[in-house]
Amino acid sequence: MIVFLVAIVTISSLFIVFPEGINAQQEENTFVTHSGAIVTTTGEVLDPLYTSATVEFDPMEYLRDFNYGRVSQLPDGTTLREFTIIANDDKIMEVSPGVFYNVWTFNGTVPGPTIRATEGDLLRIKFINNGEKEHTMHFHGIHPAEMDGVFEPVGGNGGQFVYEFEAGPVGVHPYHCHVMPLEEHIVHGLYGVFIVDPKEKRPPADEMVMVLNGLDTDFDTENNFYAANTIPFYYQHHPIQINTGELIRVYVVNMVEFDPINNLHLHGNLYKYYPTGTDLVPSFYTDMITLSQTERGIMEFEYEYPGKYLFHAHKVEFSEKGWVGIFAVNDTRQDQQESGEYGT
Amino acid sequence: MELNSKSSKGKIIASGVIPFVFLIMLMAYIFGPGSELLDLGVPLPEITMEKINFLDSEIQVTVRNTGPIPVEVAMADINDRIQPAAVEPDRYLQRYETALVRIPFEWNEAEPYRIGITIEDGTRFEKEIEAAAPALEPTFDLLIFFAIIGTYVGIIPVMIGLLWLPFIKKISKQKYHFFLALTAGLLLFLGIDSVEEALEVSKESLADSFNATLLVTTVLVSSFLGLYYTGEKLVNRAKTSRIAKPVAIALMISIGIGLHNFGEGLAIGAAVGMGSIAFSTFLIVGFALHNTTEGIAIAAPMSRGKLMIGKLAAMGLIAGSPAIFGAWIGGFVYSPFTSVLFLSIGAGAIFQVIITILKWIREEGDKNLSSAAVASGFVAGMVIMYLTGILI
Repeated sequence: MIVFLVAIVTISSLFIVFPEGINAQQEENTFVTHSGAIVTTTGEVLDPLYTSATVEFDPMEYLRDFNYGRVSQLPDGTTLREFTIIANDDKIMEVSPGVFYNVWTFNGTVPGPTIRATEGDLLRIKFINNGEKEHTMHFHGIHPAEMDGVFEPVGGNGGQFVYEFEAGPVGVHPYHCHVMPLEEHIVHGLYGVFIVDPKEKRPPADEMVMVLNGLDTDFDTENNFYAANTIPFYYQHHPIQINTGELIRVYVVNMVEFDPINNLHLHGNLYKYYPTGTDLVPSFYTDMITLSQTERGIMEFEYEYPGKYLFHAHKVEFSEKGWVGIFAVNDTRQDQQESGEYGT
Repeated sequence: MELNSKSSKGKIIASGVIPFVFLIMLMAYIFGPGSELLDLGVPLPEITMEKINFLDSEIQVTVRNTGPIPVEVAMADINDRIQPAAVEPDRYLQRYETALVRIPFEWNEAEPYRIGITIEDGTRFEKEIEAAAPALEPTFDLLIFFAIIGTYVGIIPVMIGLLWLPFIKKISKQKYHFFLALTAGLLLFLGIDSVEEALEVSKESLADSFNATLLVTTVLVSSFLGLYYTGEKLVNRAKTSRIAKPVAIALMISIGIGLHNFGEGLAIGAAVGMGSIAFSTFLIVGFALHNTTEGIAIAAPMSRGKLMIGKLAAMGLIAGSPAIFGAWIGGFVYSPFTSVLFLSIGAGAIFQVIITILKWIREEGDKNLSSAAVASGFVAGMVIMYLTGILI
């Protein structure tokens, strides 16, 4: 009898203390399918919908983050830019909600920091390898052989090397680790973007960097995820905010391994394309470019109409596995206000 | 004296319990806190997709954690394309725990699909469905449909087989032995067929951790011994009661065949349910021809008693009707584990029946199992089954 009473008291007190907690079990979650249907579940939602609160690496921050280094002037007037890059290979990152993967990083992120300089600047990059394995930094571009980061592997656990060379040629280039097995070192995340600006600056624009990459989380030499800037579907759920009538300049670098090509299709617009960014005159005016490994270039475009526009791989497999995003074009022109919104 | 026996009893109990105490201590030592002693090697996670159902605009996957460590379900895909999905009740799976993954998807009938589930460490598991077919809803119509299939495949062929009884009744002892041996041959074929089927199902849908071969063996041997024991009791009782021995044996045979047909019904129902076969009239004809031989198996021992039409019909029902129940269960609430279980029980039952028949032949036939009639009958039985089996 006493046991019975105690049980009743405990259970009812539980209800008073955790009125939400007990009901939480019955709470229903909803999610939206790719075709727009809303589905209700009593369980948990498995949707690669990354909220900024949980993201370890923020693609939105990376997008417009350019590193110019510690700048000083040499006696002969040359600009010296000094960088410190630290490699690591033990980080476990939640690359997609619920999926954890061992990323190898330059300065803690995949891709590594975007290194930016002007043609003719002297670059001095202090490379520290805090990983277990040997790593290097190999820049695409013009530099002396001993600065190529191929035959000078830097030992792990604190090994150091200083890369010093003149920035050039003008354009957008990748840098990556060049230690064998090379594919392994690249697909784990040891790469980043190196931008060389012309001495006469390009016209002002809203500039951004997109590294097209893939993640082979189960090591079967096929990518499980694709993305622009590592996190699958991120820019789809968090559209990139841009303005009508503003010049947009995107530095695109394809770092996808295993698949021979990647591509980029822009909706509702065409862009001027500068392959490798080495020329100041665009080679194409298109909405579709095809990129092989480490192929890269600069895209320039402007949106006339406000609204949401997709950009994605038109190799649809890649876009259905994460390489898809949205430009949310905000209307900033006063005279356009009365004309009303399109597509509503 | 009494005190003495009590203390010796205590000793016996103690000596039985002490090894267990040590075993528990060993477990506690290995699994207890601070025992990283045996933390060697890398345990690999594993999940098995046991069942995939195609519903209206949705694909449902029953996932079981069949690996040595807990896993988290992280992502679902169809044909290697990521889909928003839900997992119920939650994504955490302890060993052997199951969850239901619901993937909203506008699938097309009869097309193949590869369903993928990715877990927290990025490992992707895949299961291929040859042709998507809508999951069966237990409607009244479908209930009737399965009952009709079960009747065609189970009851009618067995009943037709039983019609050979008057023929078998009139033939000589030698020919009678031939038919008994033929029955044993038929059954041996069915038994091997069941084992093969059980192993096939477990290979396709059961994880390695279930030890399919040993599961089948264990269940088969248990079923064999259990039925052997009860069968002996039944036959012994038959001596003293009104039931004649041939009737007892025929009853054993029909129970064995009934268990087998239950397994067969499960397979048919599941195949229809999962859309892995189209149920053609040809297939039904094949099964029917195949199962007619099962009627002969029951008729053979019964032919030496009085003609008892009522009992014969009852045995036909015992042997045939489980096909209907099997089809219902297989079609509506299929689980590969129960399927393997029933197929193994059926195999055990059949092997038991073979032993019973062989003993019966030995007693009848002057302690001789190596007569030309027996040998040729046995072979003929297997050949008939093989040939009719090709039709399926």
